[in-house]
Amino acid sequence: MKGTKKKAPAVQKKQSFGVYMKRYWQLYALLALPLLYLLIFKYVPMIYIQIAFKKYSIVQSVWEMPLAANHGFEYFIKAFKNRDFINALRNTLTLNLLDLVIGFPAPIIFALILNELVFKKFKRVVQTIAYMPHFLSWVIIYGLALQIFAPTTGFLNMILTGLGFESIPFLNDSAHWVGTYIFLGVWQSFGWNSIVYLAAIAGINSELYEAASVDGAGRFKKMWHITLPGIKPTIVVLLVMNLGNILGSGFDRPFALQNNLVMDVAEVLSTFVYKNGIKGLQFSLTTAVGFFQSIVCVIFLLLANWISRKLGERGIW
Amino acid sequence: MKKKLLSVLLAGCMVLSLAGCGSGSGDSGSATQDSGQTQTTDTAQNSSGGGTTDAGDASADPTNGEIVDGKFVDTRKITVEVYDRGNDGGSDPTNNKYTQYIKDQMMELHNVEVEFVAVPRWTEVEQINNLLAAGDAPDICLTYDYPTVQTYANMGGVLDLSSYVDDYKDMLPNMWNWLGETNIYWDKDPVNGTLWAIEGKLAVSNRINTFVRKDWLDKLGLEEPTTRQEFEDMLIAFRDNADTLLGADADKMIPYSVSFDVGWRAALLIESFIDPDVSDYEYYVNGFDDRKLTQNGTKEAIRLLNKWYNEGLLWDDFALYGSGDTTEDDMMKAGYVGAFMHNWDYPYRNGEDSIQTNLERLVGPDAKYVVVDCFEDSKGGHNKFVSGTAGDRKIFFPSTNTEPLASMMYLDFISTPEVIEYLQIGDEGVTHNKLDDGSVEIIAATGDAIQNSGFNIDYTITCNGLHLTDEEMTLKSTAHSYSGIDPALVETAHKVCNTDIRPAKNVNVGAIDSEEGQGPTLSSKRDVIYDTAVSAPVESFDQVWDDGIADYLSSGGQAIMDERAEKWKATFGDTTALPE
Repeated sequence: MKGTKKKAPAVQKKQSFGVYMKRYWQLYALLALPLLYLLIFKYVPMIYIQIAFKKYSIVQSVWEMPLAANHGFEYFIKAFKNRDFINALRNTLTLNLLDLVIGFPAPIIFALILNELVFKKFKRVVQTIAYMPHFLSWVIIYGLALQIFAPTTGFLNMILTGLGFESIPFLNDSAHWVGTYIFLGVWQSFGWNSIVYLAAIAGINSELYEAASVDGAGRFKKMWHITLPGIKPTIVVLLVMNLGNILGSGFDRPFALQNNLVMDVAEVLSTFVYKNGIKGLQFSLTTAVGFFQSIVCVIFLLLANWISRKLGERGIW
Repeated sequence: MKKKLLSVLLAGCMVLSLAGCGSGSGDSGSATQDSGQTQTTDTAQNSSGGGTTDAGDASADPTNGEIVDGKFVDTRKITVEVYDRGNDGGSDPTNNKYTQYIKDQMMELHNVEVEFVAVPRWTEVEQINNLLAAGDAPDICLTYDYPTVQTYANMGGVLDLSSYVDDYKDMLPNMWNWLGETNIYWDKDPVNGTLWAIEGKLAVSNRINTFVRKDWLDKLGLEEPTTRQEFEDMLIAFRDNADTLLGADADKMIPYSVSFDVGWRAALLIESFIDPDVSDYEYYVNGFDDRKLTQNGTKEAIRLLNKWYNEGLLWDDFALYGSGDTTEDDMMKAGYVGAFMHNWDYPYRNGEDSIQTNLERLVGPDAKYVVVDCFEDSKGGHNKFVSGTAGDRKIFFPSTNTEPLASMMYLDFISTPEVIEYLQIGDEGVTHNKLDDGSVEIIAATGDAIQNSGFNIDYTITCNGLHLTDEEMTLKSTAHSYSGIDPALVETAHKVCNTDIRPAKNVNVGAIDSEEGQGPTLSSKRDVIYDTAVSAPVESFDQVWDDGIADYLSSGGQAIMDERAEKWKATFGDTTALPE
């Protein structure tokens, strides 16, 4: 009986979930574990978002904690009255925007250049070297940066002063620090991020290039009219995801790179939350900050996705 | 139909798992709260019992027969926090010769089973926070940070010790003898009488010293500086004679080294600018910051440092290296640093790896750091603020502690003079040698007998610093406890840091609510202010300092000062001196 049913899938317009479940239950079973992981480690902890609206107590469960003043919004009000928070918000936005403007195109350009290389071995070596820094932790990168950029003992500044120039305060002056921060970020990630573009480029039909050559297109014309449009969907998806992270920030990069002399530009939301929440025990306040951060990120993500779909791209869903 | 069923099923599962978690944590939450409540009512009954007519009965047997001859009838179990310093080649802090000694003794004397819980020393506050928040904190907790205790107490996470220390006083003779009323009642709330923590005692209040390179002074024909001006002249001489002193490494010369923690590494200089006649009131109101940021006079001290920085007398890169970084120590060991301030015995610590020993090895046998005393206050004396016997480590019991009495008896046991002595110097021939004058010389032990902390202070939680049963021998032994270091250097260091000291007084006006949770935030602000002000160009120093202070004050600093002033007035009235 079953056999005959399976042989005639064309008659069924739409299978119900149950039928799929019955047929592919092994695959669904494989999915169960990741789903469980998401449930336990991503969704259950969300119960504690409530802390943002409640007066935190160590001995009470999150359901029993009393609601904070101002209908539960006391800590949000407090955060926005806190100059350090505003400062951290501003710094997060500035650093992430700079990262986006400078750091986002870098891997695309790198992938385009790498794609033009004819000598395959050289290409592979360059690519490997370029993505190596991705595997270094930020603490180690800061150690390297100190060896190179420190004002008196840094290698680069020793050369500069040896040649009779002034030493450059790469790490100890606010404006210079921002430059160093962005530079190190690009250096660490451009090679790794280019991998996905290279993969997309590899998927472009080579007949297109041949046809363009026949039509007399040069390298730049081919790059502009074939390669770039070919990886445009990838670029858009990554751009949408990056925009979704405009207010997010990793913790280790700013934390490892910041120092007391540049704290006015180096304090970002993640380090603010760490200092006030985990070290300062202000759990409600910092949960509120984290919640706010997440909401803005989600809004940006949805907005960027909507715009990209309006512009005729696929977006991420 | 099937689809619907399945989605209902899935949704059901999700709700169940959520509810399971929710109610689970709810239960545990209310359980801890319940136990907290029963405990408070228990103690309330006990203390009211002690206050009424049957006080005699209560003191005769406050334990209702739980304890016979100092021993629990049933074996009790407690957990005790111990710092894990992660030293190279150290032993497991929770299981070694000394923990075994403690466990055996506690079992024998009190029928109490002891288990140690390791907490990393350098992140102790964060770690203890996590343990407390998870309800897993050890029964006996230890921290240097009182605001943490206060914060958790406000949330109901800490046991009130007031009734225990009083009602069971007769059973805790060693603790009372060693700590005394001063340390036991140090943190008692003057208004409602709660006691969240007991202060461990500092056996030695040696704090900070200024070290200079004696061999450099000799080379340049200079005397040891005795005033601030002479110190500055010395730094200038170091800088100008770098070629003579360091030869090819002249560009590595650092006349005076500070770290990012300027408030500590220039403490003697900063304190010398504070009015020696500062009133107890003023010192207290401005005293939240333990690096004296808001005391009157500090700005001028930092202005001087700023001048020195711009004249090339300080280490240029000081602010870039965070806490725990060894770069600065390495430069001292390599012999590039002319002077610095640090813990009173800093260059002599750590045996073979001490700064002094390394310096001799790398530079030559003459190279040495000696202690000088050169920061005079406005009256020509010195103004060295040191802690009193308290203000060091605080011991508290989290509300998850179900054996407060057994825990108290542990504190009594660990305060016994003989126990302290044994833990601190160990066995003769293994961890120490007896010298001819009767004093003790610490030798580097190996294997299980290694002391992970100097004199095992991490186990003698009520006693920080060497304390032998014989007072005189304690002093003599201290000088001999630095292997490879000339005892005369240590004796001078000990003497100088005990000259012209001002032991801290206990101003207890109750909890200052505005201080809650502010410690770490304001401390990091303080470091930023110090660092940016020291490294600012001379002409913008005032601007940088004033902006920084304004930000510090409006971020909670002012509120703390106001509340401190208000509570002082409420407790002591208009007087500006503490009652004797």
